[in-house]
Amino acid sequence: MMATTPAADPVHQGFLRHANFRWAKLALLLCLLSLIAYVWHQPVDGANGGSWLGYALGGVGALLILCLLWLGVRKRRYRSRLGTVKGWTSAHVYLGLSLLLIVSLHCGFQFGLNVHTLAYALMVLVIASGIWGLIAYDRVPGRITQLHGGSDREAWIEEVFDLNEQAIWLANELSPEVHRRIVASAEKLQLGGSLREQLFGASRPSGGDGLRESLEQRIAELRGDASRPGALDPSKQNTVMFMAGQLQQTSGGEQEAARIQKLLKLLARRNELVVRINKDIALHARLQLWLLLHVPLSLALLAALIAHVFSVFFYW
Amino acid sequence: MSISRVKIAIVGSGPAGLSAAARAAELRIPHLLLEAEAHLSHTIYRYQKGKQVMAEPTVLPLRSVAPFAAGKRETVLQAWNDSAQRLGIQIRYGAAVIRIGATPDGFLLDTASGGTIAAERVVLAIGLQGNLRKLGCEGEDLELVQYQLDDPDAYRNEAIVIVGAGDAAIENALALADNNQVSIVNRRDEFDRAKKGNREAILQAIAEGHIRHLSNAAVSWLRQDAPGQGRLCLDTAEGKAEIVCNRVIARLGATPPRQFVESCGVQFPSRDANAVPAVSAHYESNVPGLYIIGALAGYPLIKQAMNQGYEVVEYIEGRSPEPADAPLLAAKFRAMPGYQSVDASIARIRERVPVLAPLTPLQLREFLLDSELRIMKPGEPIFRRNDYSDSFYSVLDGGVQIQIDENDPTQRVGLQAGQFFGEMSLISGRRRNASVLAGPAGAVLIETPRGSMNKLIASVAAVKRVLDETFLLRAIQAKLAPGLDAAELRELVASASLARYSAGEILFREGEPGDCLHLIRKGSVTVARELGGREAVLAYVPAGQYVGEMALLTELPRAATVKAAVATETIRLEASAFKALLTRHPALRQRINETMAQRLVANAATSSQGSGSIVQFLMNQGLGEATDVLLIDESLCVRCDHCEKACADTHGGVSRLDRETGPTYEQLHVPTSCRHCEHPHCMKDCPPDAIHRSPGGEVYITEACIGCGNCERNCPYGVIQMGVTSPEQPSLWRWLLLGGKEPGNTPMAVDKGAAKKAVKCDMCKDLGGGPACVRACPTGAAVRVSPEQFLQISQGAE
Ligand SMILES: Cc1cc2nc3c(=O)[nH]c(=O)nc-3n(C[C@H](O)[C@H](O)[C@H](O)COP(=O)(O)OP(=O)(O)OC[C@H]3O[C@@H](n4cnc5c(N)ncnc54)[C@H](O)[C@@H]3O)c2cc1C
Ligand code: HEM
Ligand code: HEM
Ligand code: SF4
Ligand code: SF4
Repeated sequence: MMATTPAADPVHQGFLRHANFRWAKLALLLCLLSLIAYVWHQPVDGANGGSWLGYALGGVGALLILCLLWLGVRKRRYRSRLGTVKGWTSAHVYLGLSLLLIVSLHCGFQFGLNVHTLAYALMVLVIASGIWGLIAYDRVPGRITQLHGGSDREAWIEEVFDLNEQAIWLANELSPEVHRRIVASAEKLQLGGSLREQLFGASRPSGGDGLRESLEQRIAELRGDASRPGALDPSKQNTVMFMAGQLQQTSGGEQEAARIQKLLKLLARRNELVVRINKDIALHARLQLWLLLHVPLSLALLAALIAHVFSVFFYW
Repeated sequence: MSISRVKIAIVGSGPAGLSAAARAAELRIPHLLLEAEAHLSHTIYRYQKGKQVMAEPTVLPLRSVAPFAAGKRETVLQAWNDSAQRLGIQIRYGAAVIRIGATPDGFLLDTASGGTIAAERVVLAIGLQGNLRKLGCEGEDLELVQYQLDDPDAYRNEAIVIVGAGDAAIENALALADNNQVSIVNRRDEFDRAKKGNREAILQAIAEGHIRHLSNAAVSWLRQDAPGQGRLCLDTAEGKAEIVCNRVIARLGATPPRQFVESCGVQFPSRDANAVPAVSAHYESNVPGLYIIGALAGYPLIKQAMNQGYEVVEYIEGRSPEPADAPLLAAKFRAMPGYQSVDASIARIRERVPVLAPLTPLQLREFLLDSELRIMKPGEPIFRRNDYSDSFYSVLDGGVQIQIDENDPTQRVGLQAGQFFGEMSLISGRRRNASVLAGPAGAVLIETPRGSMNKLIASVAAVKRVLDETFLLRAIQAKLAPGLDAAELRELVASASLARYSAGEILFREGEPGDCLHLIRKGSVTVARELGGREAVLAYVPAGQYVGEMALLTELPRAATVKAAVATETIRLEASAFKALLTRHPALRQRINETMAQRLVANAATSSQGSGSIVQFLMNQGLGEATDVLLIDESLCVRCDHCEKACADTHGGVSRLDRETGPTYEQLHVPTSCRHCEHPHCMKDCPPDAIHRSPGGEVYITEACIGCGNCERNCPYGVIQMGVTSPEQPSLWRWLLLGGKEPGNTPMAVDKGAAKKAVKCDMCKDLGGGPACVRACPTGAAVRVSPEQFLQISQGAE
């Protein structure tokens, strides 16, 4: 029989704790070594990228950046057996953070208005956006789960379409005017949209154009002229006899009031769902938004880095 | 009506019956082919339009006068119609045979429409689809009513009444409701016979007013006023109600053909629903002159059915053609030491292996056709402990050795020619619990796949009995009393009884006196205790282990409640016999004491963690029968869908998992993905036996799949789909540099006419390094675990 002995590696562990913080430790070690070398190494013209240590640290930094960029490729090489993507992400985060120190030591904190410092600045931005990403990855997933509460967006969307259809059908039996307005409000509904709308929500679902108020008023009117005879005991309304049209129907007024009430309930439910769907879209967008900075900036960094290395070798 | 008289009456015009009639027509034997429907081969007629019909098993040659080759449903049917005409087959359509009675000179067959046919011999080829149940009231045969629905889109703006509350009725109602006014007549007020998804969908459609629900009502009569115009009368608690309608669709299920077949005097070997009637090597049933072929005789593929149709006519004519499978068997046996002929080999096997003796010649042939002959060198391993194989081995020559103690390879038990092994994994659905090697003289073995073995267990009672008894003794020896022989265990074995529990049923409760021990034979249980008013699950115990020993050793009442996690079978051993054994064997008491001590420690650790409710949630998802399941920790999942993309990219562009759907409890999400069940439901009814389990435990589907969709229907977890895979995947670099198709995200254009086959998770068994979904998850949210690890997971997820 299969043994239930506790595995060396826990069954499940987030990427930050991957392999017992292996990459965090490695990054820390790298930082420590660079720091020691930096303190110990005292070139005559002060610490800078041109000293042998400067070259060494610059080389390490450039290598690390290439590795970090490679994550974008490895992530999509689904057949690759070179580590797991989780391990790669773990390394990415910790080594990426260590760059901050390593590259600063490389240039001996000498900044100017040049392509070198441009590369540095881009790197800092990439790292900053990475940290933003980490925060998003930490906070957003739990909120999505909470929002979903066991259901999912597709089911909501389906329900919204369904509710729309029902509302239009109900409205059709009420009056052409109501029907027209319900159709219009269904057409105006917006799910998702442009990035800005995704993040900050689309224009609010309508219903605020007085339709609700006028419908409520109509109910009051209908119910106002008192309980006329003929109203059907609600418990009978689901029996076959009723369904088969063999029992006497409810009186006209009460029936219309009940219809309107049902319509209002439908609309309320629909609008609530639309809000929830847009919220869900916004949360999902927030999980990706930072990547829209992280990736282009890292490509810009790559370009600047090439320019930097090129310039130091050819114009030095 | 005058009685027609023929030599051979063939009932059912499926591939089996048609092929028999074709041969009879070719030989100019007076014959009549009786078909209940208005066309040939109703089962194939009902396949989905354009379905690719496959000609499995490919190695089996076709021997029939009627043509058959893999191709479109329409092509196959056309070819059969043409050949029926060309050969001059005598067919009577719309002739459902309802009675077959023996007479001194043959049989009399009565049809539902009142005809009678006299025949010397009858070939029964009615397949397994059964007859559709009718309304059973006035008007059941009116034009207005139909018992099937092929194309819901063909109806528009009609008032349609659906009768029935099963899955078929619900699916039809939902499909028709888009364009029609649909009512559904239900005898009860619930839809609890239907699948969960269908139930929810119909309740919603009713609540929304798309479909009218006529509950607690039964059809009293049906009358037609004009074509497409009629009235249906319903009996309800409040009286009769009449409704007007244009069409009635009654979906009342089918009666399995068994009852009809039994009424013809044919005996079935067991009550098991999968049992097939026993027939002789010439397909003759226990009723002389009544032959049974095709799916009804247990041969679920078209080519087999057609071969039998040809052969049965030959046999009736007194000829004995070599069966079409003879070359295949010869190829198998040729390697056998001292091979002479196929028949001699079969006779020798029957004589040497007692467990196979009760098989009919045809069953034995089929059994051997499915099996492989294995010739093992001395000491060669057959399988190893913890392999996840499930085949069954009979020892034909030589012997094998079972390593009973994993720590001491010299501790072995020998099995001789005539004995068998492998029944443990077959019954429990678990990994092998011991390694087996060929003995010093080598071994000749017959290896039989699980599917054929299960078919045999269902149809031959004697085989089932022998396997059960052997399992019982060996399980006790393996788990409770190693080293004791059958004689010493006689009393305990005699006290044993088989107990069955459905999912959620309680084996025993905390606080009850302990009167027995349960050795789990199949399924699994959870052990739980009441802690602060809440039920806390302490342990999950799979098949092959025992529960309930604590109360027996300590005389204290039961310390915990044990509940079946899935449908479970246990061997119940009585306390008295068990205690007697322990007094006689102190070493045994020592051993069981140790297990108990270990469990107490583990339980104490678990209960202090208080995590049982997650385990309970997982069990409620049916995960007690899983062997390996994909779980997602939603607090880590960043919804990037790389798991799905990885799956699609590595599996021909079709992802086998759906991350988003599925239940979630406290951040733990169970996506729709295969769980590699202990006893895979999907394997149950696969005509070409294309679903297998690999030694690593992965349940996968081979190329032999014929696309019949049975597995898709049988899997309770909805993880099989019918799809078309494409070998090519988009290029990563092209996408990175130029855009366009993203790997894993865009299905490649597939050939529209390509055959749809069942696709499911194979846990990337051919990729090495573990499942791609888990390897591609950037955050570690996705994990694959076995139920034994659920407690760990639930503690990790806090
Ligand atoms: C969806 C699906 C897809 C499949 N795909 C394939 C495939 O690709 N390749 C393959 O090899 N196999 C396939 N199979 C299996 C194959 O269809 C069957 O093995 C085959 O049809 C069995 O043939 P049969 O002649 O024994 O019975 P059937 O084909 O079932 O024929 C029985 C006939 O008897 C008639 N009948 C029944 N009762 C009576 C009665 N009382 N009186 C008169 N007539 C009666 C029926 O109307 C029917 O025409 C598939 C099965 C299904 C369900
Ligand atoms: C192959 C790797 C690298 C080599 C060979 C290299 C080489 C050098 C050299 C020779 C200098 C000294 C130039 C000077 O003093 O004007 C320098 C400076 C500098 N390097 Fe690098 N470098 C490398 C990688 C990097 C990386 C990865 C970064 C940051 C992204 C970086 C950022 C800088 C900065 C900001 C300076 C200071 C510029 C200044 O002095 O004004 N270098 N580098
Ligand atoms: C100079 C340094 C860095 C570079 C060049 C870089 C580059 C990249 C690239 C190319 C990707 C792949 C994006 C994709 O294809 O979807 C990526 C992803 C990511 N990066 Fe960075 N990155 C750097 C530093 C960091 C740092 C410091 C952090 C965190 C503190 C970080 C966090 C991440 C995360 C969380 C991802 C997403 C992983 C995933 O979801 O697959 N990065 N980065
Ligand atoms: S790969 Fe992991 S993080 Fe991405 S969707 Fe799948 S489970 Fe979630
Ligand atoms: S496909 Fe379904 S039945 Fe088959 S092993 Fe997977 S989950 Fe179980």
